[in-house]
Amino acid sequence: MKARLQRWKWPALALAAACAVAAFLFLLYLRSPKHGLPYHDSFAQGGADEWEAFGGTWAVYDGGMRNDSDERGAKLMTGSPYWKNYLVEADVMLLGEDGDAGLIIRASDEEQGVDSYSGYYAGLRTRDNMLTLGRASHGWLEYRNVSMPESVRAFQWYHLKLLAYGCDIVASATFPLNSGHTTTASMTDKNCLVSGRIGLRSYSAGGFWRNIQARVATENDLRAMLGNTRTQTGSSEQVAGNGITIFGSGSLPSHLNAQVRPAANVEPVSSLRLVSSSQPITATIRGVVSLTAPLYVQDSTGGISVHTSTSPPLKVGDEIQATGTVSPGAFHSTLEDAKVQLLWARTPVQPVAVTASQAATGAFAAMFIEVEGHLRSKEREAENNLALGLEDGQQSFRAVVNAGRGDLLFNKLKPGSLLRLRGVCVVDSEYTHNLTPFVLLLRSTDDIEVVAGPPWWNARHVIAAGFVLLLLLLIGHFIYSRIEQWRLRAILEEREMLAHEMHDTLAQSFAGLGFQLQAIRNRMPEDMPALHKQIELACDLVRHSHEEARRDIMMLRTESFEQMELTRMLEQCAKKMLDGGNVEIAVSQTGDLRPLPLRINDTLFRIGQEALANAVRHATPKRISIMTAYTKDSVQMVIEDDGSGYDAGSEKKGFGVRGMKRRAAAISAAIEIATSPNLGTRVQVTAPLPAGMHLKYWAGKKRKSDS
Amino acid sequence: MPWCCARKIFAANLVLLAMMGCRSGPPVVAVIPRTTGMSLWEPERAGADAAANAHGMKIYWNAPTREDDVQGQIALVEKIIDEKYAGLVLAPDQSLALMTPVRRAVSKGIPTVVIGSALPLNPGGRLSYIVSDDEQAGQMAAARVGAILNGNGTVAIIGINPDIAGVLERVRSFEATMAAQFPQIHIVEKRMGSFNVPYEQQITEEVLMGHSDLGAVLAVTADATRGAYSALSELHRTGSVKLVGCDQDLLAPLVSGEMDSVIAEDTYEMGHRAVEWIALERQGKTAPAFQKVAPRLVTKENLNSPDIRRILGLVAQ
Repeated sequence: MKARLQRWKWPALALAAACAVAAFLFLLYLRSPKHGLPYHDSFAQGGADEWEAFGGTWAVYDGGMRNDSDERGAKLMTGSPYWKNYLVEADVMLLGEDGDAGLIIRASDEEQGVDSYSGYYAGLRTRDNMLTLGRASHGWLEYRNVSMPESVRAFQWYHLKLLAYGCDIVASATFPLNSGHTTTASMTDKNCLVSGRIGLRSYSAGGFWRNIQARVATENDLRAMLGNTRTQTGSSEQVAGNGITIFGSGSLPSHLNAQVRPAANVEPVSSLRLVSSSQPITATIRGVVSLTAPLYVQDSTGGISVHTSTSPPLKVGDEIQATGTVSPGAFHSTLEDAKVQLLWARTPVQPVAVTASQAATGAFAAMFIEVEGHLRSKEREAENNLALGLEDGQQSFRAVVNAGRGDLLFNKLKPGSLLRLRGVCVVDSEYTHNLTPFVLLLRSTDDIEVVAGPPWWNARHVIAAGFVLLLLLLIGHFIYSRIEQWRLRAILEEREMLAHEMHDTLAQSFAGLGFQLQAIRNRMPEDMPALHKQIELACDLVRHSHEEARRDIMMLRTESFEQMELTRMLEQCAKKMLDGGNVEIAVSQTGDLRPLPLRINDTLFRIGQEALANAVRHATPKRISIMTAYTKDSVQMVIEDDGSGYDAGSEKKGFGVRGMKRRAAAISAAIEIATSPNLGTRVQVTAPLPAGMHLKYWAGKKRKSDS
Repeated sequence: MPWCCARKIFAANLVLLAMMGCRSGPPVVAVIPRTTGMSLWEPERAGADAAANAHGMKIYWNAPTREDDVQGQIALVEKIIDEKYAGLVLAPDQSLALMTPVRRAVSKGIPTVVIGSALPLNPGGRLSYIVSDDEQAGQMAAARVGAILNGNGTVAIIGINPDIAGVLERVRSFEATMAAQFPQIHIVEKRMGSFNVPYEQQITEEVLMGHSDLGAVLAVTADATRGAYSALSELHRTGSVKLVGCDQDLLAPLVSGEMDSVIAEDTYEMGHRAVEWIALERQGKTAPAFQKVAPRLVTKENLNSPDIRRILGLVAQ
């Protein structure tokens, strides 16, 4: 064993060293500041799995990434934390008039929150028409603000670039795209952040990004961008020591569009269900947008579907006023041909937590709800939608969401998982197809939360467990068999040693004793017949004992058992006993011959030997039959002679017969001795085989059939 | 021998890994304001940072993106409890909803200081309060309105948002002081408020339309102040109607004179003192259970005084 270990130690060490080096190199590769660069988004193909959201409602839309939320500081991050000197650029559009949107570089420690990350941010701000550049360290420090030559407006594309090289950070914004004027802002941060990921960020206004690219930056790139720097107009903001900024001049824009004033005749949404369908009326409602496509609005009394052909760009959380023709439904109303006016942004509606059974009553139709269910199926539908089939208790329902960034999540979702979903509860047959009581329309895949994975005890796992258990049983049995073999071998070795000892001591002594008695007899005078007879008797006893000893030695020897089968052993024994006589010996063997446990083999042989000896000594037979029969779970031995027999009724049970029965009982064998005067004697012993022998039997049968 | 060496290397690696796993930095105090990125709350961070540095601690700074995101703030507090911070400084977004998370934090042995406005939980044990003196804020506002109207005229109160604890006390104190000291000044409107600036603007516009002779507006929250200023600006009445705001957020009109004054909460002092109290708790000493911090009246005249600039976070601390 030790030698074997010694032989393998060097290859094993070499292998371990190679693995360690490979792992180190792989780690080095992953941490390379260039790993993953250049990067180009795959929004046009609908892919965005590599992006991670921190707030906001992000979705792939029209070849770009869109955040429809007004949340301050919503972020979407990707890339490697080890990227160092690089340039990221994208086309950016603001979706609101009072906020900013832009790009993040060298980011780390991102969390949901206004400035909850470490990194550099450059964005376009509508409030003061600035290209702003600064650093976030879970707080905001504005370094540079440069006025854009034209007003920063929502729903216009700007091309934004942000470069980090060493401790120099440069941002530029071009408008109009491609051929427009470029405004540049730069900063040098003495204790700069050296590496980090890239990201998209919007503040108060939603945003739309497309053509996002990142590549390794060189000093030439830095020079080229700084070369674009136009004369910087004086910043309207001053940087405070701890990152607080104040507006130094000008007035704040009005938040409220003068054209849009909340109407006085606003009606609660729930009251529209009472409108008679025979007399269509026009009504005005006011509520918060809970879903933009299709448009659902909710106030404190309920939700409503709004159909409109012309609507201002809306975000989830916007408070709107809509006027249209009421189309009452069984569970909720619809506002047809509605004129929608944006009032202001508000906090998105918080979902009402309900069970699927409650949602199935229709009481929460058109409302934003949170519901849990077990995933039963998932599929991709037309228009890049993902559809999930769910069940909760006795109710089943579906959830539909735009794939957006959800491919990764979709692939990870396992049937049987418990999901928590937030979305608008819709009961229209257009969505339910009359297959489920309701459908949940989700805003984005961020509305899907995996509460728990599928239960472990499914059919696949049970089969696998059964298979493993079976394998373990087989291994256990194999080990047990090996141990039994080792034990048997030890016993046999012990017996072998005992046989050698007996041969060298007891047998030799008997031989010597025989010689001495022979010598005494030869020297004795012939006129002492009585003494001759006694010495002859003693010689016979010694010879008999010698033979017995030889038989015992033969029985004890391993090779006897390993090489000889019971029938052959009995045959040999009989031949020796009859040595030169004219008694016919008939031997037969049936069944599948196989090795017997030593104890059974030994006992049967002893019984057979006794039966043969009785036949030879007392019955004067003409024929002795030795038969063995092997069955699946027992072995049977029969010794039969056609000798004188004896009267079983007057049997004086001698030591031999009692000994045979005692031996048979020791191995739980059944013994039958059938005899009658002049009709011979039949001794039949049937010994059960232990359970382990059955497998050997079947294995033997199999081998036989295979051959 | 090589096996022996390999074993030693393996053992050394294990020890190294264990040491890396056990590496611990300075204690971290979680400071959770109502929201971040606002002039009202950023000074709190500066104060907390200064105190933490003085006591060899660090702060974790985060908050919901909106003041009315109560669930977001509860989730943050739960995270703080689970991650076992050295202390918690919380400016609750809502007094009732934050009771259970704060009780949980205290029961887990986290020294907790609630700042800004109190919760309906008795102080004591590991729970302390450092609140803004809203009664004094009301008196201060009354005195200012009385002074600018020369003891005669009309005033409207907007932005009474009951979700912000302390606002009602501010209003009651204002009314009581006005009645006692300036009986000739009449409160002509009292409007409920929200966390919505455009809504506050709309309310102010309605008030202005309804009272052409209005002398002053008291906006009792930061959002109401913004909304009121936008309305006055929109209707070109910043000159005729004096605006007294609360909770510093909007300072530019103060500089330009379009707004009269702001009752500023000293969030710097609150953050600073809260972290000091947590340091005391960590040293096994007993921290005070309750303290009120006086607000300051900020006007164009005193805006550049060092004290005010510290409160407003306009100077490096």
